[in-house]
This record gives sequence, C-alpha cells and structure tokens, in this order.
Amino acid sequence: MNRGRRAALAAGARAGAVLAVTTAGWLPGLALASEATGDAPAPVALAFDRRSAKLLRASGHAAASSSDGGRHWTALQGLQATRPAAIAAGIGGRLYVPGPAAGILRSDDGGRHWIASTSGLPQQPVRALAAHADRPDTVYANVERHGIYRSEDGGRQWRLMDAGPREGIARLIHTNMPGSMKSGWLVAAGPHGVQRAMDCFCGWRKAGSLAGPVRDVGFDPSLPSRVFAATASQLWTSEDGGETWTVDATAPTAVVALVAAPGSVLYGARADGQILRRAAGATSWQAADA
Amino acid sequence: MPNALHLACASMLLVATASCGAAQPATAQDLGRRVFAAQCATCHGATGQGQPGWQEPDASGEMPAPPHDRNGHTWKHSDAMLYRIVKEGWRDPYNKTQRLSMPAFGATLSPQEIRAVIDDLKTLWTPQQRSFQQQESRKATYPPEARLR
Repeated sequence: MNRGRRAALAAGARAGAVLAVTTAGWLPGLALASEATGDAPAPVALAFDRRSAKLLRASGHAAASSSDGGRHWTALQGLQATRPAAIAAGIGGRLYVPGPAAGILRSDDGGRHWIASTSGLPQQPVRALAAHADRPDTVYANVERHGIYRSEDGGRQWRLMDAGPREGIARLIHTNMPGSMKSGWLVAAGPHGVQRAMDCFCGWRKAGSLAGPVRDVGFDPSLPSRVFAATASQLWTSEDGGETWTVDATAPTAVVALVAAPGSVLYGARADGQILRRAAGATSWQAADA
Repeated sequence: MPNALHLACASMLLVATASCGAAQPATAQDLGRRVFAAQCATCHGATGQGQPGWQEPDASGEMPAPPHDRNGHTWKHSDAMLYRIVKEGWRDPYNKTQRLSMPAFGATLSPQEIRAVIDDLKTLWTPQQRSFQQQESRKATYPPEARLR
C-alpha cells in the first residue's frame, strides 16, 4: 500500500470514511469498506453532465466523475485545494464548482482544466450552483448574505439578480418546466422546505408544504415538472413542480444528495457515501457498485 | 325661446368643444400615462402600487396584481418580455383558477400603445432599476411591430 493511499485511509477512518481518495483518483467505496472503519464524509452534491453522460460528485474535499453510474470514479484534477461544496454541469458540458474562498471555477474540458472567475461576484464563498436547464451559457450562483447571481456567458461575468429566499438556500436547481414568464424556474432546498421562483426573479414562494430542512432538490430532465426533494428521513416526489409532494416509497433510506439523469434515472447519495440508482419506472434502488 | 336652429348650433358647439377637450397625446409619455390610467390602474393602482398582499395568493387562489413601481419586480423584466405579457396576457400556473393572471391587451391596444405604457412604467423606477432593466433588454428588445415611428 503506498503512502498516499495509507494517509488517505487514515484520514478517512478518522472522519468515518467508507470512501477514500488517493492521489490517483477515487476508489470504489465498497471495495474499501473492509479496510476503513466508520462512514465516509457525506457527499455534498451530485450533478449529471448530459453531454458526457457522466455522474459528478463534490464532497467537500474533492470532486470526481463517473462514467458508469457511480461504480468507479475519477478525480477531477486541479481541485484538491478547493474543497468544493457544490457542482453544476451546463447542458453544453461546462462544469462549475465554487472557488476556494470566493468566485467559481469553470471547466470547458470535462474537469481537466479549471479557470477561476470572480468578475461581478462578491468576496464570499459560493454556496450553491445551478446550471440553466437548456441554455448552455447560463448559470446561477448563490452567495450567502448577498443573493443569487447569474452569468450568461459561461461563468465569466456575473450579475446580482435577487436576494434569494429569505430562509436561505442549501441547494439550488434550474428546471425548464413550463409556465414561467421567462425560460424556467429556480427551485431551492432550504431550512424550511422548498422555495420556487421563475427565472425572471419575480419573487420566491414556498413550493408545497414540505416542512423542515430539505437537503437537496432535483428535477427530471425528461419530465421537468417532476421534482424531487430529500429531507432528513425521506425522499419526496412532486409531479407538479413542487406544488404537491408524495413520499417516494421506493427509497430505501434517506439521501443527502440527489440528481436525476436523462431517461428519468435517479441517483441518490447516502450519508455513508454509497451511491444508489433507480432506473426509470423501477420500484427499487440498486447500489451503484452492485 | 331658443328655436331649433339655435339648439342645433349649440349642439354642434358642444360636440366641437368635447372633441377639442379630448386632445391627442402630445408625447409618447402622455400616451403611456393615458393608457395606464385607462387600462392598468384598476388592477395595479393609480400610482402603480399594486394590490394589497400582492406577494401571496388571495382567497380565490390567484395572485393579486403586483406593483409596477420600485417596490415590485417589473423592472427585472426585459422590454420583450413585458411587451409579450401585456399583449398576450399570462397565467400563473399555480393559480387555483383558470383565469389569466394578467389579461391580454393585444386586441385592445396598438403596439405603440403597449410600448408607450411600458416606457411610462420606467419612470416609476430608480435609476439603478432602469439601468438593470436596460441591460436585460439589450438582447430582448421590443418587437419590430412596436418600433417607434
């Protein structure tokens, strides 16, 4: 066992990690389960790059991509010092993560190279990112105590659009479900449920009656009005853009992050780091490395 | 006692006077203000202040008319979007009724009248809001039918 891997495993064990990171990349979580003790640091965010059909994850100390639905992962190079807490993928394949202290980093080559961008963004951490559902150059960033910024040139220039929901934002997505005055909707997971606003920023309203903290939200790109929300104990589904919610009885356990891929495939990440996958129309979930 | 000729002249004088009283708008801004007073103020308020409680659905589950002044969000929308909404109307998809949230005025107002009333709304905004809206409108301008003549 090399020094790098040994160090990573030790750090992982201290943090209760199931997943470990080597200098060469990620290793499948379950393969290390017997070597580590405790649970992995919980994945902070999932995203799906529709251009490359890769699953993406950001876990607070690195980011990685998977071409096989979460079975194997490859580290996105150049992000070791950034501790990304969010990740977004534009429909054209451009990737975004928050910068180490402020601004964002963007990649036009699938995560091999990253360019920093702070123009128009305040010197505060970006907490949430959302790529426009069908405009490749439009992306949104939430900066705590400042609000939601929008870029329409692939993350180069940013503009403050809105203060955001009063309750704050844990996670943000953009869906192109119909009915907006402009081109879609922003849906935010927050401490008191789900908030929703048209992307012309006409004001935020509570979406449905989910109470308590919502960890993550997602939408089905194959059916944009279908929205998902992950709370501490359950996964919820809405067929009307968040107006009404039903418990997803198929979910085996609570997830801390989720993302839906084309074809209505749904990925969830558990608190122990395991990636789960549910195929379209399926009534059960599979571990990604099953 | 006035005879029929006197009455006819008096009537013609009254009609002439009435026509002169309803003078054509001197400027586009005058036109915009007249259109707003005649078509918009009933819902959006005489000064564009909106309806009370406009940020939440009312008892019938519809969104009340929002303000058009600096307290609203009209200034966040491009000229193209505002024009489309005034012309075609719009319905909040989460209204509990099927009625349009904003009626369509395309059959009532000419393109120039629609443009005039939108341009008049801009006088209700702060300079920063006007600048923001101008930037939003750079790639989303008024349609050709509403070009200034």
